[in-house]
Amino acid sequence: MAVSSLRKSSPPGWKSTLGTISKISWPWRITIGYLSIMLLLPTAALFAKAATESPANFWKIATSPVALSAYDVTFVTSFIAALFNGVFGVLIAWVLVRYDFPFKRIIDAAIDLPFALPTSVAGLVLASVYSDNGWIGSLFAPLGIKIAFTRLGVGMAMVFISLPFVVRTLQPVLQEMEKEIEEAAWCLGASRWQTFWQVILPPLMPAILTGVALGFSRAVGEYGSVIIVSSGIPFKDLIAPVLIVQRLEQFDYSGATVIGTVLLVVSLLILLAINLLQAWGQRYAD
Amino acid sequence: MGWWQQIGQSIRRNRSLKSLVALFLVGVSLSVSMAACTGGNASNSAASPADGASPAAQKDVELTLVSYAVTRAAYEKIIPQFTAKWQQEKGQNVTFNQSYGGSGSQARAVIDGLEADVVALALALDTKKIEKAELIQPGWEKEAPNGSIVHKSVAALITREGNPKAVNTWADLAKDGVSVITANPKTSGGARWNFLALWGSVTQTGGDEAKAKEFTTKVFKNVPVLPKDAREATDVFVKQGQGDVLINYENEAILAKQNGENQPYVVPTDVNISIDNPVAVVDKNVDKHGTREVAEAFVQFLFTPEAQREFAKVGFRPVDPAVGSEVADQYPKITKLFTAQDMGGWDQIQTKFFDDGSEFDQIQASK
Amino acid sequence: MPTKLEQPAGHSFGVSQQDAPDQERAWVKFTLIGVALAYLGVVLFIPAVNVFYEAFKNGFGAFIANLTEPNFVHAIQLTVLIALIVVPLNTVFGLCAAWAIARHRFPGRAFVISILDVPFAVSPVVAGLMIVLLYGRNGWFGPFLQAEDIRIIFALPGMVLATAFVTMPFVAREVLPVLEEAGSDQEEAAKTLGASDWQIFWRVTLPNIRWGLLYGVILTNARAMGEFGAVTVVSGNIARKTQTLPLFVEEAYKQYQTQAAFSAAVLLAALALVTLVLKEILERKTRIRDAE
Repeated sequence: MAVSSLRKSSPPGWKSTLGTISKISWPWRITIGYLSIMLLLPTAALFAKAATESPANFWKIATSPVALSAYDVTFVTSFIAALFNGVFGVLIAWVLVRYDFPFKRIIDAAIDLPFALPTSVAGLVLASVYSDNGWIGSLFAPLGIKIAFTRLGVGMAMVFISLPFVVRTLQPVLQEMEKEIEEAAWCLGASRWQTFWQVILPPLMPAILTGVALGFSRAVGEYGSVIIVSSGIPFKDLIAPVLIVQRLEQFDYSGATVIGTVLLVVSLLILLAINLLQAWGQRYAD
Repeated sequence: MGWWQQIGQSIRRNRSLKSLVALFLVGVSLSVSMAACTGGNASNSAASPADGASPAAQKDVELTLVSYAVTRAAYEKIIPQFTAKWQQEKGQNVTFNQSYGGSGSQARAVIDGLEADVVALALALDTKKIEKAELIQPGWEKEAPNGSIVHKSVAALITREGNPKAVNTWADLAKDGVSVITANPKTSGGARWNFLALWGSVTQTGGDEAKAKEFTTKVFKNVPVLPKDAREATDVFVKQGQGDVLINYENEAILAKQNGENQPYVVPTDVNISIDNPVAVVDKNVDKHGTREVAEAFVQFLFTPEAQREFAKVGFRPVDPAVGSEVADQYPKITKLFTAQDMGGWDQIQTKFFDDGSEFDQIQASK
Repeated sequence: MPTKLEQPAGHSFGVSQQDAPDQERAWVKFTLIGVALAYLGVVLFIPAVNVFYEAFKNGFGAFIANLTEPNFVHAIQLTVLIALIVVPLNTVFGLCAAWAIARHRFPGRAFVISILDVPFAVSPVVAGLMIVLLYGRNGWFGPFLQAEDIRIIFALPGMVLATAFVTMPFVAREVLPVLEEAGSDQEEAAKTLGASDWQIFWRVTLPNIRWGLLYGVILTNARAMGEFGAVTVVSGNIARKTQTLPLFVEEAYKQYQTQAAFSAAVLLAALALVTLVLKEILERKTRIRDAE
């Protein structure tokens, strides 16, 4: 293990790299071909369709009040959901790595459930659980809090599907972190709180950020579960993907593509940030 | 040559790899065979459009019916009757592909290339969109009996048990403290009918446009949520317990009753809109598939008493007079029934009420 | 309140700790576990249990009856078929892409990885929309496909394309870190010993990455079987033709057949559980291997 981690920082010889690139090996061909047909071509079609609108018009559609509120619901709710999972994800990862308790293995495995559960099923279930006469919704209904079919419900769906990311990115890092460091800090007379803030948290930060960002980007793109849990009311709980479908159903293709393009570009920027973050995190680790 | 042996070795060494490779090979062979099959099917379904006139061909024929959600129960009964009849008369097997969904999204799918032979949608507006895409030839309304309207309904007000808010007429919906649930007219065909019913309840009884707008705006101020489609609206009302009144199709209310969801409802009988559901043959697709004859026969069959009876069973008002009199007591009589035509026809309705920035958007914005 | 410190236990993995900090932490520990489990319960477990409750509420008879309905059976077949086509495709692609990215340093590498991730973050609805814009009747290839009578959209190929798009990154993203971790020393050594590329792949690379690869395959499969957003735009939802299990769930729900919807949902949830069990077994194997 130690040997390979030493190798990681030094790239393989430039000469051999240049050689392989100039030859273009078949994995490259497959990668480039597949990416072009499956990803770049459809994306180009989307951009081309959106580009048929004049820039002024594009801007008008992209920043119409309905669209703006949809971005707001989509991005802000996703962000809050991701933050929620950031805090609780750290806690869950910590508990799973550091402590032993009954059924730990099962609970650990269940964290991945939102990955594996089809989103339409998730939506169906969340709608029935959080509705006013559902298992959880009925506890809140007397307090006048409605969950399903409000923005809160959208948030819950997003929390549900982005839950695994923080936990899963953090677990390996926590496992590698030696307990001795804490104990050393502890010996040196640091309080538990100080130990946590100054010794434990900093090395975890890149992983936490990555997890939060991944969860965020996943929540932004979520459709299947939200469409069942939200009521799709503009300015209340209408998310951007649902807005796209509504535009489609009104045969407003340019409207749908413009909003789709905005979403795509934002997603790409977020991803770029995540990947740079990960690279930074790796450097940090080295 | 050498590497085959190595694969063999590594497979023997590693069971999971074995299954992976097996899976891969199965997948590849399947996709190849699939491609072969779909290719075969495509050539099959495009069976010789030229000799569609000769009934002698005992070739099986496929028809694709695209309709909206609530008609499913009726078509599942009607289709077997039709196929039996066709088999008897022509000695030909007809298999049906059926697709049900929201009326608007179904129309979009047909325009985008879902090769429907027959479309039965919630409102002529959606059928007209397919006509605009040049898939249906103009004048389709005249090709079937009764202006191609295959069944009808009216708008109903579903209330809470005992009707505590005493909602019986359209005017009651504008009262303070009455919370109204209706789907979004932008996305739901049914909700467009609801909107027209509200507007028309004023204009068709002597009120002017300004008054109609004022009344409709007042009602929409009482609308806390605008679900995507009729089904979601029903859910919000029944399962979420939101609102005091739900505006819905009468046939939906009857169907829900049959499904054991016993919701009391009133049909405003003083004035109401005639919800007319059209059926049409998609000319371009039937000519391509060579299925015009059977598609037109199917559309004709929908107007026969036996088919009309099935529509009546799931709550629609039949258009066949004989069947209509059989089930007359199922449906309250409407004193002043008006149609989309009375509201100025579909083209005008779309531009005036539902396009971006038109009446409905203004009403929403002023909430 | 530090008490006297004992020898830090060298390599015990936080199980039976005797040292002071842990004794101190008993109440902290239980609070943390309690909070974590409560959160998981509300967000995850209660909804999961609810699926099974709703499906079996009316007894097993109703559930079994739903499972034998022809539309349902066709939906299962189609779902499995799409997964069988998509998973191998994306496995081959994922392997190639991961290898290409891991074994080369080139400018814009982070950007390429980000592009690879796009399907993961972009809304599946947008993916469906793209397919419509390409292959729909008014799309780029629409006229050509019409003329040749090739059906892509509202038929199996379109659904495969949509599903493949959405599940594209998983294998590549799972294999990439493992490949980087393994380094290229062994491969280069094999090369100098005169092994062909195939030999290197089968005998050196694949054994190193097999767990990551399988994990990626499992994730791809789960996502492919559960995909809803993209497929709903391009399927046309023709019963017994282009209706997958997730679409069946939605339609059954819309048709007031709640029982049928939840029966299908249970089946999908069960698939999800199988996936998780497989994953767990794999991880256990990996741990054993690492221990060796």
